[in-house]
Amino acid sequence: MRGLGQEQSLVTTRTESYYVARRRAYRVFLYVIMFAGCAIMLFPFFWMVTTSFKTELEAMRMPPQWIPGKWLWQNYPAALARAPFGRYFFNSFFISILSTIGEVFTTILAAYAFAKMKFFGKNFLFALLLGTMMIPGEMLLVPNYVTLVRLNWFDHYQGLIIPWLASVFGIFLLRQFFRSLPDELWDSARIDGCRRFRYLWTVIVPLSKPAILTVALLKFLGSWNAFQWVLLMTNTQSMRTIPVGLLTFSSDIGTEYQLLMAASVVAIVPILILFFFTQKQFIQGVARTGIK
Amino acid sequence: MWKTRRAEAEGKPKQPRTAIRPLRLSRDRTYWRETFEAYWYLLPAFLVLGAFVFYPFFSAFKLSLFKWNSLTPPGDFIGFENYRYIFHDKYFWKDMWHTFYYVGITIPVTLTLAILVATLLNKGLRALAFARTSFFLSYISPIVAMVMVWRWMYNTDYGLINYFLSLFHIDAVAWLNDPHYALPAVIILSVWHYVGYQAIILLAGMQNIEQQYYDAAKVDGATGFQTWWSVTVPLLSPQIFFVFIISLIGSFKVFTEVYVLFNGPGPLRSAETLVYYIIRSAGRIDTATNHTGRAAAASVVLFGIIFLFTIIQLTLTQKRVHYD
Repeated sequence: MRGLGQEQSLVTTRTESYYVARRRAYRVFLYVIMFAGCAIMLFPFFWMVTTSFKTELEAMRMPPQWIPGKWLWQNYPAALARAPFGRYFFNSFFISILSTIGEVFTTILAAYAFAKMKFFGKNFLFALLLGTMMIPGEMLLVPNYVTLVRLNWFDHYQGLIIPWLASVFGIFLLRQFFRSLPDELWDSARIDGCRRFRYLWTVIVPLSKPAILTVALLKFLGSWNAFQWVLLMTNTQSMRTIPVGLLTFSSDIGTEYQLLMAASVVAIVPILILFFFTQKQFIQGVARTGIK
Repeated sequence: MWKTRRAEAEGKPKQPRTAIRPLRLSRDRTYWRETFEAYWYLLPAFLVLGAFVFYPFFSAFKLSLFKWNSLTPPGDFIGFENYRYIFHDKYFWKDMWHTFYYVGITIPVTLTLAILVATLLNKGLRALAFARTSFFLSYISPIVAMVMVWRWMYNTDYGLINYFLSLFHIDAVAWLNDPHYALPAVIILSVWHYVGYQAIILLAGMQNIEQQYYDAAKVDGATGFQTWWSVTVPLLSPQIFFVFIISLIGSFKVFTEVYVLFNGPGPLRSAETLVYYIIRSAGRIDTATNHTGRAAAASVVLFGIIFLFTIIQLTLTQKRVHYD
């Protein structure tokens, strides 16, 4: 009898407000997890930025001093003066911008041909392109190194830019987008006496801005962050980019971690600025790589 | 088919079939004109790919059969001697083991976390943009700069990781100086670096799952977990599999994380990987060893491994993975 009473009371207590409360507790739980995750992900950034404003003593303090006592802005000029960062920056920008522009150009042309033109050997060439996805870039390092030395491009801008002027992934992405554009556009353009090349640049390209921007962004990001290639294909300090320069810098400064962190912040800032202005394309671009 | 359509579009009358069609090669002149034009469009991209992808691909095989100690002379043909050398090289197998160890832990851990993160971000919580950005930031930031912070956090005496461990009364770990902890240090860093990237791809996949499946699950009275397990995960399997293979192939090529974290191969070469081996053999890290041929042979082995996984991917995607 008592058991039955308990059951009854269970039934009566689970009113709608119970479920509301339970759902709310679940939500709170989810928020806690989410913000904990964000905190872990952002923590190294936080630590990098705060360390970059500390004195050497504060940086080494244990238990750690979370916020610098005085924000030492002079760490930044001090760090940048210790290595030719101006040159590194110029190189990074120069190489990233040129290879982005160049890649977008070659990619648009090739993607258009594959998307909208009918030509002899199309399937074969496309399969060839697909096949390159299986080739790890690291396998090509040694022969490419030999090639660059032979061409006398080793330790020159050509060697850092020209090999990266085509991207199979970019061609796929744009081809996909171009294919979705209606053929009637071309028909009407042709009736107006428009050549294909002009049609491509004046009609197709403006219509495909978001896709092209995505390709360009991913390229710029990859180019800015590139490390391995620059490390292997350059010898002199004057040809190095920010990432490689940062590594050299790290072995030069010893224990002055606040300076190393300041230089690291400087290396990240351009990417962050770019990211915050183009977040949508950026995230969509990466997300799209997973949707076939 | 298309030929007829084009003829109609251009307003030409259909050409009568005649017995003699000289030099038509079964296709008409516009087709060849278009082919000619298309090749011009493909030329820039294929020139670059030809010189820096196709040519070096074959060249790697060729180089692996030659004895080369410096760059200028062509070297001697020695057959499979380079392969024999690396297969008897203790460090080659050690590096191979390190690579598999790294891949074997990094990939499952990152992928599991990424699925959980994507699920969480798909709950329709507020501050989604903020969360997505925080998870994504580690992926887009230059890896070298990020490794620098980790190097600082891994510091034995002043590093934050050991400080956090000390809060739980765990003794300080010499992350960067102890051969046992060198690879784990690289793994933790890599998980942090790639989890956001994977989560973003999976999240996009989840958002693409149509509501009707969830409605059906609701009608059937499925709980939240049941829905997740028997609707979300199976319908997400193409993306999960894609991310898995992409990351797997990517992690076999791990080099930068190791090289920057330790400014070398780690204590007693304990974190040296296969790509590290290639680059070292090529004489680009320490100039004392300069064996282009051996580096090429190791490259071919790397290709073999990745090729194997690509084939597995191709066959499995056609069979196992659910596409709705």
